[in-house]
Amino acid sequence: MKARHSVAPADRRRHHGKRQENFWATLFLAPALVALVVLRIAPTISAIWSSLLRGFPGGIKPATFAGLYNYRHLFGDVNFINTIGRTIVFNLIINPLQIFLALLVAVLMIQRIRGANLWRMLIFVPVTIPIVGSSIAWGAMLNPQGPVNAFIVALGGAHQPFFTSPGQALACIIILASWIGIGYWMVFLIAGLKAIPDELYEAAYLDQAGPIRVFFQITIPLLKRNLLFVLVADTVANFVLFVPVQLLTNGGPQNSTTLLMFDAYRTSYGYGSRNLGAAEVTILTAIMLVFVFFQFRLLREGRDSE
Amino acid sequence: MQLRKYMKQIVAGIAILSVGALSLAAQAWSIPTTDPTATIRILSILDPKNDNVQPVIDAFQKEHPTITLKWQVVPFDSLNSTIDSHVANKSGDPDVYWADQPRISALASRGEAEELTAAFAKFTSNFDPSAYNAGLYDGKLWAMPIANSTQLLFYNKDLLKKAGLPFPSPAIADRMTWEDLTVKAAKAHAAGAQYGFAFGQFDRYYQLEILPVQLGGSVGASGPGNLTPDFTSKEWVDAFTWYGKLFSSGVSPRGVTSEETDPFFLAGKTAYMVQGPWFLAELQSSKVNWGVAPQPKFANGKSAATPTGSWSLAINPFSKEKAAAAVFVKWMTVDNGGGYIKYRSNPELAASVEGKKIYFQKSVFASPEGKNAVKIIDFETSNTAVNRVSTIGYIEFEGILNQAFADIRNGADAKTALESASSQLTTAWAKYK
Amino acid sequence: MGKSTRKSVLTVVAIVVSMFFILPALWILIDSFRPNLEIMSTMTPVSWHLIIPEKLTIENYVALIISDRFDLALFNSAVVCLASVAAGLLISVMAAYALAVYHFRGRNLIFAVVVISFLVPFEAIAIPLSQLFTDWGLGNTMIGLILPGIGNGLAIFNLRQFFMGIPVSYREAAVIDGASEPRILFSIYARMSGPALVNSALLIFLGQWTAYLWPLLLVSDNNLQVAPVALARTFGEHSASYGENFAGAILLSLVPALAMFILQKTLGNTSIGSGEK
Repeated sequence: MKARHSVAPADRRRHHGKRQENFWATLFLAPALVALVVLRIAPTISAIWSSLLRGFPGGIKPATFAGLYNYRHLFGDVNFINTIGRTIVFNLIINPLQIFLALLVAVLMIQRIRGANLWRMLIFVPVTIPIVGSSIAWGAMLNPQGPVNAFIVALGGAHQPFFTSPGQALACIIILASWIGIGYWMVFLIAGLKAIPDELYEAAYLDQAGPIRVFFQITIPLLKRNLLFVLVADTVANFVLFVPVQLLTNGGPQNSTTLLMFDAYRTSYGYGSRNLGAAEVTILTAIMLVFVFFQFRLLREGRDSE
Repeated sequence: MQLRKYMKQIVAGIAILSVGALSLAAQAWSIPTTDPTATIRILSILDPKNDNVQPVIDAFQKEHPTITLKWQVVPFDSLNSTIDSHVANKSGDPDVYWADQPRISALASRGEAEELTAAFAKFTSNFDPSAYNAGLYDGKLWAMPIANSTQLLFYNKDLLKKAGLPFPSPAIADRMTWEDLTVKAAKAHAAGAQYGFAFGQFDRYYQLEILPVQLGGSVGASGPGNLTPDFTSKEWVDAFTWYGKLFSSGVSPRGVTSEETDPFFLAGKTAYMVQGPWFLAELQSSKVNWGVAPQPKFANGKSAATPTGSWSLAINPFSKEKAAAAVFVKWMTVDNGGGYIKYRSNPELAASVEGKKIYFQKSVFASPEGKNAVKIIDFETSNTAVNRVSTIGYIEFEGILNQAFADIRNGADAKTALESASSQLTTAWAKYK
Repeated sequence: MGKSTRKSVLTVVAIVVSMFFILPALWILIDSFRPNLEIMSTMTPVSWHLIIPEKLTIENYVALIISDRFDLALFNSAVVCLASVAAGLLISVMAAYALAVYHFRGRNLIFAVVVISFLVPFEAIAIPLSQLFTDWGLGNTMIGLILPGIGNGLAIFNLRQFFMGIPVSYREAAVIDGASEPRILFSIYARMSGPALVNSALLIFLGQWTAYLWPLLLVSDNNLQVAPVALARTFGEHSASYGENFAGAILLSLVPALAMFILQKTLGNTSIGSGEK
């Protein structure tokens, strides 16, 4: 009896706090959830549904339910299988590469150097240029007769075909995308790096730790949450990248730059085959989900904040 | 009970609505004798100011004051996806749109174009047959041609002089051969021209279809509905082996886009270029010392086929102002040889016989070279023009084939590239069968 | 290595790195002031004229603004972006806070919804969504352009990650002091997250600033069209005006570049690190 008397008010208070928390959680989450469900999730479900229909191109003639017909059609096409493989390889290369370089640049930019703000802004500039403009500029620079080749030849190297060769075109797309992406992700990483308390670094230097050890033992672990965001966001960005492909190579030479999103875009918007395009995007999203799942596992959040 | 009653009402409501929608879509209309009062929305790739269409709009408004035009411009590359989505919205916006002629079959079969046979078939004889026929699908008329096109061989006199080469003759009878052109272009290139020869539109079916056709090959597809790829024959392989050699031998450039060919010629870097008559206006105002001759043919070729085709106007089947839209379409294409040709200040080749008369009066044809161009254009449009293949699967056809052309240009073997494109297209066309 | 040598070496490295990023952009800037013909003819083969113009002109900018009404399109884009950032950021901050600090049932599920929402390519849902919007009477309206920008799962994710790094002790102390939840959110969490707020604003901003497909599908009225669509009109059927395209690219990039510069100066240094000192 006595015990119960003494516990009850505290219990009630905790209970009350819990109820209050739920109230605020609902209030804070409601607008975002409504927006996401109406503007993203519901259309996504309708896109998945539409991938199960078979319809005439264009959007006017009604489509009929066809089960997995579109998927069977896609997986029966060797070109599509190659496109999936290419997309996966592309992402296995470009995402770690971009994040690694962006991290290096970010670490460089928070050092005590002259004009850090200026250099940071210059690196950020490509992010702000519309991708149409930067694609054209890179197309010209990497033209077989263009300035980059002139530079290579002047240094005694061999003439390179770049976008006109099936062996190099995708690599050129990676360079172009990284030229834009590195500055973008750098900004996010700098925000994370700055949130690491200076005291930790000072303590490490007092322990005579070298810069590489500091990087791996302090910077990386404390940057995990930030890295997770950047890696996931970068993966999404690169999976849906298609404008440079559309403008510069149209998927060629010999399909070497046909990435899944480009293919899906062409199917839906170029050919007007919405149901087939919806199936392609569903597959794309499923692959992305797998990537993102592993990224969450890889950079598993510590339970420290809980 | 209650619920059932509601359900019945709802079903009835839906039925009425859908019948209403159907009757709206199938609403009978004709070209009215007196103008209705209406506002119609025109979806175009041409900007009123930049592309000199404002005089056309003004002239229409003056002659038809009760029909107000609302002009909408979309980027050229996005026209087709915009038509697809806006027409499918069924809101009736736009009322009239610019239709790429080889896509008319696709537009009609998708239900995105209103049938025009009853109202417009009577004007058949006004047009060049190839231009009128471009609007046909399934024996019915779906769009009216506002313009036409052909191709000519332009050359830079200064670069040819420098290489000691004679100027090609403008006479149809003296048409050059591609073989001869290749040799001469290589000489011009060796003598300092950055590019010996260029197609105005590299890697595009519009420009290159005629190569195998000249050799006696097909237009690229055959069978019922032209839905079977037909571009792996000997004629196609031969034509595109020649095309590939242009680039491997350095006579023509790799990595130059179709948007860049005109500026290169205007900057005096190209010796020979095949391009359309729209280029005349730019040439006239440039510093290039140019001449013109008929598009070449192959030495052992069976014909001198030339490209043709341009844009048409189609009416949205969901438009609520079809009569007014028809007045506009008729005014643009038929009245006085076509208001579009008559009033647009930078000229485009007319699709109608009467329109061509007006067209040839334009100032770009005043110079001696301009007069040569008139003769060539007049001859080619009535004698050698070969339309692009008519198929509801044109969009996939063109996309995949253009990519194969680009691969051949970049060094892929012609036979391999065409065969791979053929199998890709077979897969892409499976949905139409 | 002395401190100043280290500083000089790092500065040189920084300069070299930033050159890789700025040189192509500089070329776009230079070309935006040249006649179109000169841009094309100096692209290949390589010569000094690639970077040193023979003739400077503002004709590209004039043509873009006078004939293409690029100024109007820029204004439309700016309105759409400002409204999207304001509404989107508010919504995202609240959602991220709830996901970061509260422990309620279904939290993981809601977080999964957030993640999935940004995994699905917008291109995949644009057509059905545009048909819905047209049915709702949002076709050819500013609201229709703004709405898709405000539900940004990435911005929520970014802020949640940052909020989770803020030590719980701050919140606990504020609760004991009797601070209300909105107060904790806006005057503690938001205050301490300057860079993350800037970056989330950037996510929403750039998403809308570069939006092309959605405006094309939703808007047919030219007076309401946004800048990226106007920019694409510089590419015609037979010719492209690289000069006008580059001029437009420069105008379009000025706003985010300047905004970023100013925001970094003002908000860039408020962070947990400095907050703890």
